[in-house]
Amino acid sequence: MTVQVREQQKTPLWRNAAFLKWAVQLFVLAVVVGFFLVLGRRATENFNARGTTFDWGWLTDPSDFLIREGIDTDPDSGIRALTVGAINTLRVSITGIIAATLLGTIVGVARLSTNWIVNKIAAIYIESIRNVPLLVQIFFWQAMMFTLPSLVEADIGEYWFKASNKGFGLAWVGWNGGFFPWLTFLLVGFIVSRFVKRWRIRVQEETGQLANAGWYTLGILVVFGAVGWFAWPILSFLESVMTAIADAIDGIPAIIIPIVLAGASLLIAAWWIRSFFESRRTPAGFGKLTDDDWFRVIFAGVTGIVLAVVAFVFSGLEVTTVQGELTTMAELMRTGIANIFDWLGRDFANNGGDPLVFSKASVVQDGNFVQYGTTGAVMTVPFFAIWFAVTIYTASFIAEIVRGGILAVPKGQTEASKAMGFKRSQFLRLIILPQAFRIILPPLGNQYLNLFKNTSLGTAVGFAEIVGVGFTLMNKNGQTLPIVLVWMGFFLTGSLLISAVVNYYNRKMKLVER
Amino acid sequence: MTHKIELPDIPEYAPEPPPHGPKVWLQKNLFSTPASSVLSVVFIIIAIGGLRGMLGFIFDAARRWEAVTFNVRLLMVRAYPEEQLTRVWLAVAVAAVLIAATFALYQVTGRTSPRKVGNAVSTVGGFLITAGLLGPWGVSFSPFGIESGTTFAIVFGTGVVLFAGGQGFRRGMGKREKDERLPVMGVVLVMLGLVLVGLWTISLPWPTRLADGTQVSITQPIAMSTRIPWTIIFALSIVTYLLVAMFRKQLGGIGKKLLMSAWALSFPVLFLVVLRDPGLDMGRVFTWYVPVAIGFILIGGFILNFVAESRGELGRVIGAVLLIAAFAGFLFSLEFIVRWSLVALALFALAAPTFGGKGAGRRAFLGAWAATVVVITFFIMLLAAPSTIEVPGGGSPFGGLLLTILLSTVAIVLSLPLGIVLALGRSSRLPIFRLMCTAYIELIRGVPLITWLIVGFIMLPVALPEGIEIGGVARAIGAMSMFSAAYLAENVRGGLQSIPKGQYEAAQAMGLTIMQTTVFIVLPQALRAVIPALVGQVIALFKDTSLVTIVGLFDFLHIARAVIPGQAQPFNFIGVFREPLLFAALVYWMFTFTFSRISLRLERRLGVGER
Repeated sequence: MTVQVREQQKTPLWRNAAFLKWAVQLFVLAVVVGFFLVLGRRATENFNARGTTFDWGWLTDPSDFLIREGIDTDPDSGIRALTVGAINTLRVSITGIIAATLLGTIVGVARLSTNWIVNKIAAIYIESIRNVPLLVQIFFWQAMMFTLPSLVEADIGEYWFKASNKGFGLAWVGWNGGFFPWLTFLLVGFIVSRFVKRWRIRVQEETGQLANAGWYTLGILVVFGAVGWFAWPILSFLESVMTAIADAIDGIPAIIIPIVLAGASLLIAAWWIRSFFESRRTPAGFGKLTDDDWFRVIFAGVTGIVLAVVAFVFSGLEVTTVQGELTTMAELMRTGIANIFDWLGRDFANNGGDPLVFSKASVVQDGNFVQYGTTGAVMTVPFFAIWFAVTIYTASFIAEIVRGGILAVPKGQTEASKAMGFKRSQFLRLIILPQAFRIILPPLGNQYLNLFKNTSLGTAVGFAEIVGVGFTLMNKNGQTLPIVLVWMGFFLTGSLLISAVVNYYNRKMKLVER
Repeated sequence: MTHKIELPDIPEYAPEPPPHGPKVWLQKNLFSTPASSVLSVVFIIIAIGGLRGMLGFIFDAARRWEAVTFNVRLLMVRAYPEEQLTRVWLAVAVAAVLIAATFALYQVTGRTSPRKVGNAVSTVGGFLITAGLLGPWGVSFSPFGIESGTTFAIVFGTGVVLFAGGQGFRRGMGKREKDERLPVMGVVLVMLGLVLVGLWTISLPWPTRLADGTQVSITQPIAMSTRIPWTIIFALSIVTYLLVAMFRKQLGGIGKKLLMSAWALSFPVLFLVVLRDPGLDMGRVFTWYVPVAIGFILIGGFILNFVAESRGELGRVIGAVLLIAAFAGFLFSLEFIVRWSLVALALFALAAPTFGGKGAGRRAFLGAWAATVVVITFFIMLLAAPSTIEVPGGGSPFGGLLLTILLSTVAIVLSLPLGIVLALGRSSRLPIFRLMCTAYIELIRGVPLITWLIVGFIMLPVALPEGIEIGGVARAIGAMSMFSAAYLAENVRGGLQSIPKGQYEAAQAMGLTIMQTTVFIVLPQALRAVIPALVGQVIALFKDTSLVTIVGLFDFLHIARAVIPGQAQPFNFIGVFREPLLFAALVYWMFTFTFSRISLRLERRLGVGER
């Protein structure tokens, strides 16, 4: 019997799995990059042929168009216009998220009611709203608003609530000069109340007696609010502090900013690599790192260095401000940071007036037109159409999520808490909802993301949110790519923020197993 | 030895039936506790008020429903030429026949009990009675010359008949819940048949404008022009259903394969050939497309056979060389068909060592190659030919609901393979692939669809190489499928994560390669697990197609919201927004509601999503 012994050979390159793996990946990467380069070159040529070149000048150029609603209806620059749009988007998103959560929870609980009519009405609401495209609903509410009566001279006066085809006028609480200092008082009160609540709960746990944690919290908030209402002018010294900080920032050389940014990105990369090595550590020392692990480390390092370089390059860019001065990005950023402190300082200045003022909506004669005045709050037709549609649409999805979450809590929990003698209100609040919330939270976060992105449909009814404003800018100056990049930046940041908040709570609520 | 035990004579008691009847029902469901009673009263008042308000809105003399009824064709197919409408009917008929065949072959619908059917009919009757009582009597619709009093009397009467009929049916057929002997399909067909009878018999007075401008009212059946096609389609579907149901056993697996191929073929053939009617240059077809395709099939088949035979590095090297050659082809001005056939050949060559097989397997592999070349040639040939359907104002012949359906079907078909590839890439262990796929998915999902539509409509045309122009519909399809693929990828990834590790290990132990494990072991299970989620994505995509109205395509919503309210001829509908929008909402609702029911059914049938 002969045994064939094969000579140990070195694996040739074309058979080496590790090499092939990387070669194929790099090849595909090259193809994808090449594809985009070809598209990009073509686009640049075409745009050059049309006489438009990509630049960011429109950010600071005068935008000269009017925006229908927002913090500034006549923005002086492109960036200002986009800011107005972004704030309008956030207005709809935040109010919509709050309203949709409330409505959705109510409907979701109603869907589980043993009361036949309540149950059926909730079911009809859910099935009819979520199966119709959002855009149809937005258009429909807009059309409904247009059929309301128009404002005529007989309507001039003050109202708690006034509906017309120009929107809804509402009595509203607005803020005044003293609002921010008062808010500071409230914030301090809130922080103090957290400590007091913890203390009362500890007392309750130690003594077994009811310690009224909720009342204490409320009382502290009320005390701080009441004191702050009258005492807020004493905070006006903060104005000079803030101004001093702003001056100090204005004084530092601009080069510090890219250095800080670059340092931060390098530090983060180093920290990540270090923690990665730590995570690969076994009791016997460092574990063996695979190719992928090394790739990750190298990738993280390269990204950190690239970001650091980008920080320097970006800071060195020269731009022209609205005033026509030539400056660098770094100086612009420095001025921006200083301006924030300046703005804070102005808010703490003692410029009189109660923190909050209440006013009714007014209808006034304005030239030849009868319109809503400046008092109270006005919900315009586009705002109402997008806000209302987005709210009831998202609420129908949230209702199903809430229903599913409550149903997913095992029945034994209800029975056990009843056996323990909990009242219905108690076991819902203390036993069922906390467990349901854990299941509800991830899909709920998804719905918030959807709502945030869906507000962009407001552009179809002329609501001045970021996509609509960007579209107008695009038509005026032909700068498509930069504006699309701004949109992406805005929406990705918003999405990341929402998912960060949801993930934070998710981690906090997660079942700790074993 | 047995003992006999004498049992005492116990009289038999029938179990007392649980109390039932309207009073018990009310007490249990509406007035169980004082709080519940208050809620019930409040919500009954709200429900009655809401229903009254809704009926009052619909049956208001100021409503102009004729804006919808006069424009049904516009809403469905926009400006598709009237003399060519047979094409649309043919498409609808093919779809209906295929659906009927699918229902029969897969036994999608089961059986139901007479009790349920009777109750459902009674519920509808009860609703009609309520509506008849609550509706606003004494409104006159000027264009139709109808008094709402008569309408509601008819509604009320129909309600009473249905309610009584439903109860009678239930009693007559027996009351047991479990007694499932009525086929659901039969019930559905009877319902559709009743609707069809309505198309033929119900007459309404219609205002018509004569040539000299005078307006007269002509009483004619509703749906005058559509009743014959609908009847034919209905009859065809019934015949198909019965035939397939009868020969289901004999058809077996071959029948399913045939049906799947018919579905796959129907979309390109219907949309590209029947509805679009491309003006093909026959000379070029026979002197260029056919020879090139045959050449590719033969030469490519030879190469593939060789590569599959060699089973080693040589095959891989040939595949890699071909791939590089195919990509290099994009740098030169080659004909489309050559370019894409080369890419396909390279991909097939790379797959050949794994899937080439032997004997029958080899023949199937080469057959797949031939089919791929035919499909590529078919699409490129047809898409390159201009449509001969002339619509006023030029542009795409598709519009209205037809465009909406086109957009959603094509986008979902295109996005599914892309989504699967992305999902595999994102869960791959190769870092660059994973990074690219993750970046794509997160970037697409993080930004709203409207942004991508604007990018597709404004930036894409500028970035395309010279000589390639794509129309609005193609741009919308591109943007929507890229968008949808990212969402589908996340769904599929969920399925991939649900595959137990043992499956991978078992496949490895059997000596399967990574590719084979993915295609034969992992994907079939993963896709099956996420079918309900995929249907959910289909629903979302269908609703999302309405967004193309923002970039100016004439889809269903655009007609309802912008075209009809701008119409001045033959009747003035300027400013009539709400009626067409409500109609649009109803149509969208019917589609999505049906889909969501199907999804629920699938979920129950597949048993997924159960804890």
